[in-house]
Amino acid sequence: MKKINACETYFHQGKVFTKVFRVMKVTLFFFLIAIGSAFAKSSYSQNTRLSLHLQNATIQQVFDEIQKNSEFIIFYKDNQVDVNHLSNVNVVEGTVDQILDQALKSTSLGYKIIDRQIVILATDRKDTPSVNLNETEVQQKKDVSGTIKDNNGFTLPGVSVVVKGTTIGTITDNNGIFRISVPTDAKTLVFSFVGMKSQEILIGTKTNFTISLEEEVTGIEDVVVVGYGEQRKKDVTGATSTVKSDAITSRPITKIDQALQGTVPGVSVVSANGQPGQNTLVRIRGNNSITGGLDPLYVVDGFIGASISGIAPEEIESIQILKDASATAIYGSRGSNGVVLVTTKGGKEGKTAVNINTWMSQARMPRYVDVMNAYDFADTRNREDAIKGLPSTFSQDQLNAFKQPGASTDWQKEISQVAMTKNYQADVSGGTNSVKYLISGSYLDQQGVVINSWYKKASLRANLDIKASEKIDFKLSISGYESSSRNNFEGTNFNSPFGSAQTFNPGMAVKDADGRYIMASPYGNASYNPVAEANNNIHDYNGLNVQIIGLVNYHIFRNLTFTSTVGYQRSTSMNPGVSGPYTGAYALGQDGISIYNDKFWSFQNSNYFTYKLNFGEHAFTATALYEQQQQEYLSYSASDKQLSGYGNGYYIMGMGKSSTTGSGYWADAIQSFMGRVNYSFKDKYLATISLRDDGSSHLTDKYSLFPSLALGWNIANEKFMQDNKTISALKLRASYGKTGNQAIGAYATIPALQANGYYYFTAGQQSTVLLGGVVSSSLKWETTDQTNIGLDAAFYNNRLRFTADVYAKRINNLLYDYPASDYLGAMHGNLQTSSTYKKNLGTLDNRGLELSLGGAPVDGKIFKWNTNFNISFNRNKVIDMGGLDNILSSGNQNQESATILKVGMATGQFYGYQFLGTWKTEEAAEAAKFNAKPGSSKYVDVDGDKQYTDKDRMIIGHAQPKFSFGFTNDFSYSNFSLNIMFQGSQGNQIYSYSAAELNGGLGIAKDAASPDVKNNMWTPTKQTEFPVPGMPNDKTLSSRYVFDGSYIKLKNLSLSYRLPESILKSLKISKLEVYVSGQNILCITNYKGYDPETTYGASALLQGLESGSIPNPKTYTIGLRASF
Amino acid sequence: MKTKYLISLTFLISIFFSGCQQLNEDPKALLNPDQYYQSQKNLDATIAGIYGAFNLDHGVGGVSFMVNAFGADDLSAHPASNKAEMRDFDRLAGTSDNPRIHANWVLYYMAIANANAVLANYEKVTSADATEATKNNSAAQALFLRAWCYFRLVKEFGTAPLILEPATVELMPALAPAKDIYDQVVNDLLKALSLFPSTTVIGADRANPLSTKTLLADVYLNMAGWPLNLADKYALAATSANEVIQSGKYSLVDDYATVFTSNNNSEAIFTFKFDNINKPTRNRGSFSMNEAEQPLNGPSGWHDFTTESGFYKNAPKCKRTWQTFSDTLKIMNSDGKTYTLKPWNTVGTMQILYKKFRYGLGVPGKGDGGEETATSLIFGSPSSGKDNDVFRYPMVLLDFAEASAMANNTVSQACYDAINLVRHRAGLPDLMTAPSATAFRDSVVHERAYEFAGEYGIRWMDVQRLQLLPKIIAERSPTEVVDLSGSSKTNPAPKYLAPIPLSEMTLNPTWTQNPSY
Repeated sequence: MKKINACETYFHQGKVFTKVFRVMKVTLFFFLIAIGSAFAKSSYSQNTRLSLHLQNATIQQVFDEIQKNSEFIIFYKDNQVDVNHLSNVNVVEGTVDQILDQALKSTSLGYKIIDRQIVILATDRKDTPSVNLNETEVQQKKDVSGTIKDNNGFTLPGVSVVVKGTTIGTITDNNGIFRISVPTDAKTLVFSFVGMKSQEILIGTKTNFTISLEEEVTGIEDVVVVGYGEQRKKDVTGATSTVKSDAITSRPITKIDQALQGTVPGVSVVSANGQPGQNTLVRIRGNNSITGGLDPLYVVDGFIGASISGIAPEEIESIQILKDASATAIYGSRGSNGVVLVTTKGGKEGKTAVNINTWMSQARMPRYVDVMNAYDFADTRNREDAIKGLPSTFSQDQLNAFKQPGASTDWQKEISQVAMTKNYQADVSGGTNSVKYLISGSYLDQQGVVINSWYKKASLRANLDIKASEKIDFKLSISGYESSSRNNFEGTNFNSPFGSAQTFNPGMAVKDADGRYIMASPYGNASYNPVAEANNNIHDYNGLNVQIIGLVNYHIFRNLTFTSTVGYQRSTSMNPGVSGPYTGAYALGQDGISIYNDKFWSFQNSNYFTYKLNFGEHAFTATALYEQQQQEYLSYSASDKQLSGYGNGYYIMGMGKSSTTGSGYWADAIQSFMGRVNYSFKDKYLATISLRDDGSSHLTDKYSLFPSLALGWNIANEKFMQDNKTISALKLRASYGKTGNQAIGAYATIPALQANGYYYFTAGQQSTVLLGGVVSSSLKWETTDQTNIGLDAAFYNNRLRFTADVYAKRINNLLYDYPASDYLGAMHGNLQTSSTYKKNLGTLDNRGLELSLGGAPVDGKIFKWNTNFNISFNRNKVIDMGGLDNILSSGNQNQESATILKVGMATGQFYGYQFLGTWKTEEAAEAAKFNAKPGSSKYVDVDGDKQYTDKDRMIIGHAQPKFSFGFTNDFSYSNFSLNIMFQGSQGNQIYSYSAAELNGGLGIAKDAASPDVKNNMWTPTKQTEFPVPGMPNDKTLSSRYVFDGSYIKLKNLSLSYRLPESILKSLKISKLEVYVSGQNILCITNYKGYDPETTYGASALLQGLESGSIPNPKTYTIGLRASF
Repeated sequence: MKTKYLISLTFLISIFFSGCQQLNEDPKALLNPDQYYQSQKNLDATIAGIYGAFNLDHGVGGVSFMVNAFGADDLSAHPASNKAEMRDFDRLAGTSDNPRIHANWVLYYMAIANANAVLANYEKVTSADATEATKNNSAAQALFLRAWCYFRLVKEFGTAPLILEPATVELMPALAPAKDIYDQVVNDLLKALSLFPSTTVIGADRANPLSTKTLLADVYLNMAGWPLNLADKYALAATSANEVIQSGKYSLVDDYATVFTSNNNSEAIFTFKFDNINKPTRNRGSFSMNEAEQPLNGPSGWHDFTTESGFYKNAPKCKRTWQTFSDTLKIMNSDGKTYTLKPWNTVGTMQILYKKFRYGLGVPGKGDGGEETATSLIFGSPSSGKDNDVFRYPMVLLDFAEASAMANNTVSQACYDAINLVRHRAGLPDLMTAPSATAFRDSVVHERAYEFAGEYGIRWMDVQRLQLLPKIIAERSPTEVVDLSGSSKTNPAPKYLAPIPLSEMTLNPTWTQNPSY
């Protein structure tokens, strides 16, 4: 038998490695003394012969030599043994007794040898071996045995097994198996292992046991990733939150941003629409910019701006959310929207483990909007005609025909489908002490609830950890994914097939008698057949993304580590599309095919030194970083119009009458220096200071500084708190810092001319060039000053945890897409709105409070309840806009601006006409002054000029919620567990373009589709407050279409069942879990549209606007998780 | 130990070298305006870009160009639907946030800024392909286009910032008075005339000396009316128009309807070009079909603009009128194949749309604009390759007739000849006598109203310069489906000018908005 290190022997596959050896030595001391009594006395110590020659060696060296050259393991209590004591040993082929006698000669230490264990004792403390070290009395015994595993199904060697109340015990062997003779009257076995919860099992008449030990939830003691390093959670001074892997995989999610929804205070996650593969809108602590990006910075395994789409939820070890400036300032000019640090899983030392996760789900529209049938639609139109004094549109014959069965088409049903999703993920992991690996693959096949839409993704990841030597270790992560989709980005537009299904004429059939699509209808607000649009207007995407992250740690000295990370991301995509027959494009002669291909790469190199110094009660960690990143993007596009045939879809270019081409390019670079010092005194007083200097190619003044300072006070470690049994942890934090937002694209300060296609002179076509956009001559980053005060508390031995943070952020040099005066002649994408240029404009404030309360209120043996409730309040206010009082934003299709940015108010204010009902017949004279007729809308006349002009617009609603919250509960009872998660938002309002369109406005504004019109419309004999559709003076931007957007959603409900070990053992499966779950199955809201969660745009100005967005579907899932 | 230092050194060296990250921008895909103008080809592309600006957005500008002109009697809008932008001006109740007014302003200034760039740089071009003649031709075209834009701006808004050089965001110009703008327009046109080389090709798709003289004549005619009321400009207008007539380059197309279904015909003086596949106009075909009319190929009419029923009823009874207006609707039967004909006032919104715009380039089966027979609507698409005629020869004839009569206070035979050419083609008897020059002027204005009905706001320009709103309000049909705004009915005077776009007013707080807006 090879002599191996004691640690490896005992903790070969465990969670605990060499570095905690000393801790174990102490902890296991008593266990193993107890164990000693169980071992049959062996002659190993007498038969083993060793030679040792050491001059002036420490006792530690002597111990090391003994352990290295024998199977002996030496145990001692740190506070009793001075291992640095020097002695001489000179033994040739002697017993271990001889060696120890020499080594301990000049000390007051003694020793006991029990088989292969040597216990070093202070001889002057006679009470220490209070346990019986002599041979156990002979008594009546029975043999019991068993296997011990962790909750991942790995067997655990070295677990102590003791008969409760006695000194009888043993430890498990390399295979996690123990055998022990216990007295026949023994009742209970106690299993314990470092880092695991102790477990007590009744012996009864059983003689074989399979025990699963659970990891001890150490909560506030955790080590967390903080960016360029990690920290003990109790030393963290910034406001951060963690989401652990088990919280991520407890829901059938497809992307990691969904894991943040409802689970983290201060993080708002909105699924803006229900299209498959769509990104969610993640906002950390409110909107921190107006036109700049609001998305947090994602850092995956140290790679800044890495793609998160390719990470399967099962591959995530943890997600760390950095919220305050102390935590985010180390990311400088990219930190102001908060930072999300994603750490992927690595392999673990030990036997190869295989995990398989698979689920299938079925998604449906959560609801359908009420619309009229063909007869009501036509009849209502005729009634409107009568009120307006126009001839009836539909004849009595037509009305009669519409009454026949089958005359109506339910377009919402025609356009939607029950969508199936299949998801598979499998990983293999394992390794040795020096090489660990994890290989994971996943495949997702997701249909959309709208016909002819889908998303598919296949991904592969290989994570490798290599320990080359004591000083150098490497990590390598290679991941890639290919995704493809069809028609999954048309989710937020009422001209989309989905949006137009609400208002397309219900009296039209999908196809005519010859089986051809009916293209269009003269009535109804939507122009083109939604089903034809969905099936014949195809936009596909296919992208490949590869990411390689390499890291090397070089431990130069004991306290100094150098880390270098290299990240490279490369993606390409193809985006072909075809607009074929019977579509709107076809009607305009713009049918054809198009494609654009692009290529993007990003390279990052980070190098940093970490120096740790502890002396006395002081602990320092200093980090110094140099980092650089480069990116480049290139695209080419081509299109071909009016093809001679569409049978080949988009596969043949050049069949059309005319083709065009285009291209795009940008590149940029950033270079940074960062320094950080963490200091802790007596584990009570904490400080973090950091400074980052970012240089960017985008700016005219290249470099900007981002400092931060944070202080922490671990009150629980103070003397006066030591005896407090209720409060187990209490920490006060305060921080201030500056971060930036890179809301400036490349070349934002460089004026340019742009190619603009051809002009078709009689003599032939001529390529054209026009002045490009207007540019600013100088630009600065948007910078955020943030102050944060936070409190972390834990009660009842960490059973209950509470975190509160209050913050104030001020965003200065606010970047705005400032409208350029049109007389400057900038190139316009849309002639009806102003072109814009980036300008540092003003100041915005965000203030907020976030609370989180969680823990395990019930933690019984069989029944457990884990819960977390978090709630966030954010108030946001425009402080200054460079002297302007307000700026109107540009809206969507009708080019109407629905929101206003106004000094003193929050972002997301709806700006329009306050609806007052209808003009009545007796008010005809007054109405005439407003150019209105009885039956038309009445609004507040703000300036009193008896006209409804833009001067009469006022604030008619707001998009900002008063608060948003999440509430997660995990119940487990025996092998069952139940996850219930609620998420909601209160006090926000929605301006619904869809409602306007359903009531006869917007679109082509011809006909109403909502049955409210039929039921409630004003008539001369029934003068309601519901205006007749299509009257002049009707305003789309009316408070009529502003609704309460508050909601509470049951986001997830899942029930899982874990098969008992007894069954699994025979199948050689370590874990098998099956579950059923439902998402979005319940929504409590007053909002009448499809889904209060969906929104039109991602920017702060467009929030709360709804415009035919596809709702988040109601989804039912069944799934299976297995480990081998 | 040696290895340790070696490795440390390696790291330090690697940091040192990687530290040379370049932060300068290299915009490989951008054209730098300071270095762009090198060759005649560069100038050509910019000039083409200015023309091309006018077919951006598929010539929806075709309506935007005249959205302010809906106050005239030849234009009316749908009483409901999504046509509020036109309808508001139809009711003389336009507002400064009207997106089409904005689009209009934007287009003029895009063209002006690009013309300014050419004018600031054309002399610097030195490459071999550029001669004095080619460079001057480019400059003359830029001047013509800039002049046309400023002329349209001053007509529409009465005032505008007068920017004649390349500008940056720091520029905060004042609004220039109408007189200054007119003077600049005249200067630009005269300078263009001096720059056009003698070899300039006369074609309707590019500015040339004759189109420049046509525009100049029209500018002078307008200067003679409101708001400048400079009567001495009549003579200049007459002279300029007469030069175009005397050139003999243009003649009237025999059949009035053909004007609207053909490009580069004999009366086209200046046009903006379209191409049905690549850059179609969107103001033809179904654009002028009633929303209740659905062609066999699918989508129903866009019903974007109509004429006022009074204007239709007062139209001279002649061939041109039958070719101009569509007063019978073709309503598709439930078989989806056949049509029933219905009089205009028995269906839908009871409005009359323009027949002359219902077609594209009139080749059957070509899928361009619209196509119909007496009993069937075969095809309808708003897209067409038909060019937008900015100046047609009848304009020159009528400008000459009016200007000459007013300048001399007598109606010469040449005046009668000019108007009668137009009347003859319309199917009207010749005008033989007029009681006075003013009465003759009124006849010319009446002729113009129907010759150019619905075209480019030409009627509105007359209404404006001759202050005709009270007259056309008085003659308005009481059954018109779109009401006039109450206050404008009693006081239409401020409505001759459109409001300066709201966004522009917001960005320039020192400007004064036109009265009543």
